[in-house]
Amino acid sequence: MKKKKNRLGIKRQLFILAFLAPTIVAFCMFYLYPIITVFATSFCKWDYTNIQTPEFFGFANLFENYKYIFDTYPYFWEALRNSLSWALLGVVLQIPVATLIALAFSRKGRSVKIIRNIFIIPNMISSAALGMIFLQLYNPSYGIVNPVIRIFKEGFTDNILLLKGPAFWAMTFSYIFFTGTTTLMILGNIMAVPEEIKEAAKLDGASGWKADLYITIPMIKDTLRTVSILSATSGFLLYNEVFFLTKGAAGTYSISYVIRELAITSPRAQFGRANSVASIQILVGMAIIFAINLGYGAVGRRRLKKGGSL
Amino acid sequence: MKRESKGTKIISWICLGWALLVALVPLVWLVMSSFKQDPLARPGFQLPESIYLNGYISTFKDLHVMRYFGNSLLVSFASVFISIVMISMSAYVVARLKFKGKSLVNMMLYSTMFIPATALTYPVYNLVKSLQLYNTRGALIFVYACSGLAVSFFVIKNYYLNIPPEMEDAARIDGCGYVSTWLKVIFPMARPGILTAGVLAFLNNWNEYYWASLVLIDKEKMTVPALLSTFTTTFRTNYNGLFSAMVVIILPPIILYIIFSKFLVQALSGGAVKG
Repeated sequence: MKKKKNRLGIKRQLFILAFLAPTIVAFCMFYLYPIITVFATSFCKWDYTNIQTPEFFGFANLFENYKYIFDTYPYFWEALRNSLSWALLGVVLQIPVATLIALAFSRKGRSVKIIRNIFIIPNMISSAALGMIFLQLYNPSYGIVNPVIRIFKEGFTDNILLLKGPAFWAMTFSYIFFTGTTTLMILGNIMAVPEEIKEAAKLDGASGWKADLYITIPMIKDTLRTVSILSATSGFLLYNEVFFLTKGAAGTYSISYVIRELAITSPRAQFGRANSVASIQILVGMAIIFAINLGYGAVGRRRLKKGGSL
Repeated sequence: MKRESKGTKIISWICLGWALLVALVPLVWLVMSSFKQDPLARPGFQLPESIYLNGYISTFKDLHVMRYFGNSLLVSFASVFISIVMISMSAYVVARLKFKGKSLVNMMLYSTMFIPATALTYPVYNLVKSLQLYNTRGALIFVYACSGLAVSFFVIKNYYLNIPPEMEDAARIDGCGYVSTWLKVIFPMARPGILTAGVLAFLNNWNEYYWASLVLIDKEKMTVPALLSTFTTTFRTNYNGLFSAMVVIILPPIILYIIFSKFLVQALSGGAVKG
């Protein structure tokens, strides 16, 4: 009897191991090994002159690469400020707009369904293609943005992608409102709110947008937290839009763009320095996720303290 | 049912109008411009003088778009297949069986959500080179299969958790081993969750640009998004050609979406929204 159980135990172990192995191998190859490399070589002199052999700076000059990035490299602070702004805009602009649209989609009606399906179309197109489309929209000689600006400001012939300030916003608007998949995830959760709760709210006199604000939104808080994290991180990591619209001109560098430029694009590639920017990207990215979790947690607790369970 | 108040209706319609505007203006303008013989002569939202189709004809004749769609399809399907099989196996073990190191596996996968793929640019680029995969479609399949593990893992794991454990007990009593229990009973039951994860991964990989532009050099191996970055040099001042080619590039996913929108909407909303 005991023997049989043992054999079953071995079989079980083997099964677990076999089923986990591919995922663990993938994790080690694609995440673990690269991440160790990134952190380790961020403390090394490693550039186009010594491609094969990264050299450790030694403990005295441990932060040499970081010093260079902070003090000498011209685009780091600009890139960090932009990437952080895009992360913030993801939470304070993208998600509220996506939620409003999801709430509008949750009403019944044939036209609502048609508009909902149309709204998702841009999300089926790659952000590279959207970047290309917006590059054309912003074109001063045949685009549609300049004619609109000319209504307010006669004789405007500049390319807004080359103006410091407007270029940042032009880039932001080229992606931030295309929230099809996010809106669908929120909508899915809205539809899953139990009907009884909505009915109860109606009896209490809450209906329409009032009910949405006080009942639906708190009910879908977890989904909102998830999509906030997703949109903040994707804003923080923005690359395609920068590449297609400005290539970093007019103060529009992003952290991802800096990493790629240092490590790959530049003929005098600087891998060690790129990896120190990458280390910063990882750490700040974690801090953003942590902050959002904390923020949502705080909102939840305050509601509970006030005595309202919703 | 009580009728909604006027204010509610107005806000709803503003939102819907905005949604329509955001989705349609860029696309309608793009299609309109592709019919203009010289977009410079009739800029903005002016209607084309006559329908000029030369751009489309030359796009199909010279650009070989079908080849790039073939590449994109191959890479997306292969990578989604590998990653979904891999993840649905490991997610099952984590969701259902008790073993040492389970929380470690959970944490490991959770941590990948905090690691931006762009930060790993150079090590992964190096790895692809040392695996002799550089400038092959295999490189992209490898990168896509390994990235985005976390999202698929949690979507599928949550689905497994919703399946009552009695199902497995019944299968075990019928004499099924671990593998056949999973294959014959659990995997089919978790199909909606696996499908959602698969659709999400497919859309991501189909539209992915960053890695595609990094690990491929030869033009004939490129996926559709990677091809786009060559457009500004290919077309230079041939704006009619540029617009036509862009319409051709974005059309297939839109057509596929129109055909499968029911399925896609349901998959993306976790089954709660009817398509």
